[in-house]
Amino acid sequence: MKIFIVIPVYNEEKHIGSVLSEIRKEKLPIIVIDDGSSDDSKVKIQNAKTKFKIKNLTVLKHRINLGKGAAMKTGAEAAFALGAEAIIFMDSDGQHDPANLQAFVENLKKHEFVVGSRNLSYGVPLVRYLGNKFASLLVSQLFGLYVSDLLCGYRGITKAAYKKLYWKSGGYGVETEMIVRAALAGVKVKEVNVSTKYHDAHKGVTIMDAINILFDVVLWRIEAWF
Amino acid sequence: MVLGIQIIATILSVSMVYFALIHYRKEELSRPEFFTWVLIWLFVLVVVMFPDIARNYARTFLFARLFDLLMVGAILILFVIVAKVYVRYKAMEKKLEKYVRREAIKEAKIKSKNAK
Repeated sequence: MKIFIVIPVYNEEKHIGSVLSEIRKEKLPIIVIDDGSSDDSKVKIQNAKTKFKIKNLTVLKHRINLGKGAAMKTGAEAAFALGAEAIIFMDSDGQHDPANLQAFVENLKKHEFVVGSRNLSYGVPLVRYLGNKFASLLVSQLFGLYVSDLLCGYRGITKAAYKKLYWKSGGYGVETEMIVRAALAGVKVKEVNVSTKYHDAHKGVTIMDAINILFDVVLWRIEAWF
Repeated sequence: MVLGIQIIATILSVSMVYFALIHYRKEELSRPEFFTWVLIWLFVLVVVMFPDIARNYARTFLFARLFDLLMVGAILILFVIVAKVYVRYKAMEKKLEKYVRREAIKEAKIKSKNAK
């Protein structure tokens, strides 16, 4: 099975080099989407490509910042155009351990949609933990699908599943929307345990993002009725 | 006797007509759009300055007070404007996203061709 790794990047000059150096060991083709970064992310990506001689790395550049969901979609479109049968999304801040990639590769052979599940009771701020759990319960009540870690960006999908989960969210709502669309399309979700390292507590989903996501969840429910 | 609300509404209406004029001069508003806004604000001005004219209409639409009619009317207009802006914003967002994605993939294809 031809599997690509897709990494959306936005202002991650500090971590992207080390992330690429780690995942190149897996020998999987990599697609990096620089989502209009204003820092030196693009230079760091090119440096890593040259320094570690990563031949199967494709770099795409959004001229303006569109958001994580849009960058993931660009990466997915490019990967499937290049012949991928499945893709694995990873965050660019180094929080996802490449050691877990094999679990995704193995599970993608049997399942359409594989979602990482972090141990949320360790190293996660309480507000984030409670928010994540509340969102999981809300989605489970509204759509009948419980996923223990709704917001984990470490996930894999097959080409067939991508067509069913085709998301509209441009920003951080993408992970939740994928689960919602999976529930609506009857795509089974396989959860795999992943380890996490938090580097920047201030980055990622903010309280405002979380409120927007909850608002979107209700909208998706209404949309699904029609 | 002129009430405080009449003074505030007059200042607001005149200011909004002025804003519409500025945007019209910058060619950000078309002529029909500009005249529509001027008419809306003139209507607000007339209703606020001469409430008796509109009071009869309030009774026709079964509103006890003129104020209730104005509030319901204003909310309805706001709903229409918000819906219109939302649809346009979504369409623009979609177009922009498609364009940026297409350019990113095109650029990557050119680079990979050149590398070969």
